[in-house]
Amino acid sequence: MRKILSLCLALTLLAGFMLPVSAEKPVEIIFWHSMGGVNGEAIVKMVEDFNKENEGKIKVNVEYQGTYDDAINKVKAAGMSAMPADVMQIYDIGSRFMIDSGWALPVQEMIDAENYDISQVEPNIAAYYTIDGKLYSMPFNSSTPLLYYNKTAFKEAGLDPDTPPTNFDEIIEMAEKLTIKDADGKTVRWGFGMGNYGWFFEQWIGKMGLHYVDNDNGRSEEPATKVVFDENGGAAEIFKIWKKLFDEGIITYLGRGNTDAKAAFISGDIVITLESTAALKSLLTNVGDDFEIGTGFFPNIHPDDKGGVSIGGGSLWMLQTGDDARQKASWEFIKYMISPDVQAFWNAQTGYFPITVATHELDAFKENLEKFPQFGTAIRQLHSTAPEYAGSLLSVFPESRALVETYTERLINGEVTVDEAVQKLAAEVNSAIEIYNLTN
Amino acid sequence: MKRLTMSKKRKLNNIALVFMNLPIMLLILTPLLYTLSISIMPPSEIYKNTLIPSSISFDNYVRAFTNPAYSFSKYIQNSFVVSISVMLGQMLTCSLAAFSFSFLDFKGKNILFLLVLSTMMVPGEATIIANYLSISKWGWRNSYQALIVPYLTSAMGIFLLRQHYLAFPKELREASRIDGCSNLRFLNSIVFPLSKPALGALGAYVFLNTWNQYMWPLLVTDSDAYRTVQVGISMLYDIDAEALGLMMAGVIIVIVPSLSIFVFMQKQLINGLMAGAVKG
Repeated sequence: MRKILSLCLALTLLAGFMLPVSAEKPVEIIFWHSMGGVNGEAIVKMVEDFNKENEGKIKVNVEYQGTYDDAINKVKAAGMSAMPADVMQIYDIGSRFMIDSGWALPVQEMIDAENYDISQVEPNIAAYYTIDGKLYSMPFNSSTPLLYYNKTAFKEAGLDPDTPPTNFDEIIEMAEKLTIKDADGKTVRWGFGMGNYGWFFEQWIGKMGLHYVDNDNGRSEEPATKVVFDENGGAAEIFKIWKKLFDEGIITYLGRGNTDAKAAFISGDIVITLESTAALKSLLTNVGDDFEIGTGFFPNIHPDDKGGVSIGGGSLWMLQTGDDARQKASWEFIKYMISPDVQAFWNAQTGYFPITVATHELDAFKENLEKFPQFGTAIRQLHSTAPEYAGSLLSVFPESRALVETYTERLINGEVTVDEAVQKLAAEVNSAIEIYNLTN
Repeated sequence: MKRLTMSKKRKLNNIALVFMNLPIMLLILTPLLYTLSISIMPPSEIYKNTLIPSSISFDNYVRAFTNPAYSFSKYIQNSFVVSISVMLGQMLTCSLAAFSFSFLDFKGKNILFLLVLSTMMVPGEATIIANYLSISKWGWRNSYQALIVPYLTSAMGIFLLRQHYLAFPKELREASRIDGCSNLRFLNSIVFPLSKPALGALGAYVFLNTWNQYMWPLLVTDSDAYRTVQVGISMLYDIDAEALGLMMAGVIIVIVPSLSIFVFMQKQLINGLMAGAVKG
């Protein structure tokens, strides 16, 4: 009898030990991201903190998946069988694809389910990811383009170092004063220089208050069917500026993308340039004490343009895994990633916008702003933009950007006129859109 | 007296050769040395076209190894496991296939060989999605076999070894047959020792190719446990926040193990070459 009793006791004890363990098995979710270097280090730190806070409840496995392009290609391949991750970071121009694919679980559903107060997310940033009044993904790492200039060179040339140019008329005027030529008439320092970057083209269309594609700039239920920058004259205006800059010898060609322009700005070979807000930190580090960096609004094409800049960068998408517990855990994780403290840390580490309004009130953020006053320009620029200029959504943006860059090059080389460039560009992007719409 | 001048002449010749080779070597090594230099220079000097850093710091290396976002020692280990397995696998399968294509006679041999050769015309990128779907259907994603199995043989290797074996005198094979030597024994005790240089060249080529793979490892692995070095390097890069110093440190970390393998294997490669030259 005693034996049986003690056995029973031992068993209940054992069960007592075992039960809570099995009950506390954490929900594991997978988070795919595309941030390398410093940004990747920051993400890993944030995920570790989240896991510590939710120990025993949720465990996030953070996995790097290559560049934005690599990651979206990977999900395209894996998506044929099953969703490979729970939360995924996708770049801005992958948004339309994610919506069309039907793989995404709109975060709006989670917001509605628990009446989450979404007003604390910057409205101008949320607007980009809102389609038909539905927030599809949670903004996470957002940036806009910005004008950077060398204040020291401004002073030397007798220009006011606190007044950066705001449009191309002013840029041309100032660049002429800032350009230095040697005895042979060869330019040794250019007043202005920018990379041939398709992103800028999109921004200028928005700055003029125009649309890039039809169907409400690609934001209606039906995806875009053709570009409209040819009909509304936007592309021609931008190409005219490029041509003028070259014809008047204001700039030299700095290649596609931003890399060369950035290097030229850091080494002092160009005085004014255009770059992403997210590049501020690496510019400051690389320039060091050589000169003082100033920032201004991304320049207008015409002095009286009324539009605004749209954001770039990435957002967090929830994927349709069909597992309720994991989706709930994913939503908890996303809420953590956009909480004010975490966003202040993220902003300080990377230079992306804090996407939560409440972050602006935090001391950590204020300190950072004091340390890098140049970042204040980015925030003012964002706030001066109306949500209606959220920018376009287009499934074939990667191709479209490459085509814009190709035709800018051909225009500069004198192979095509402004009108021909616009026509051919529109025709080629249209056929890419048509193929995409037929196959998806 | 005459001999002395001969050896002196030779010495002079050697010195001249070394001096002629030095600038060429420097020219070839410059990018690598510049990479090394960027990885240890202060960040503010990177864009100033400085070749030699004013001060040296190994922060980038420490960061690549200690930051929890990267696990380079694991990536290097994985790359070794995968590259060596693929190398050994290809050396085995290719020599067996090449043996049958050169020494054995059977029906349809030429057609079969042409079929094998024709796979060389199909670029690897074309089959990557098909391979990926098979691998994920078998539940092999995130495993060593996903990285190794698809590369266990190659038409290039079969072709290379077959051409080498064809140069073998037929009499060797006939003589050994008369002595009652089986196919496998012939391969093992006669063909292998005589084809060390070809096998070594194939091994080196396959090792490097596998070491440098990027797309496939990125596609089939999700977690650090199976990631290889090239994916590791890409983790150091970011379009908005590029840190060239850190990236270059990653490149050096990844190059050193593969380079040292070659320094180590060089002797064996040359030995093999000599053996072939004398005996063949």
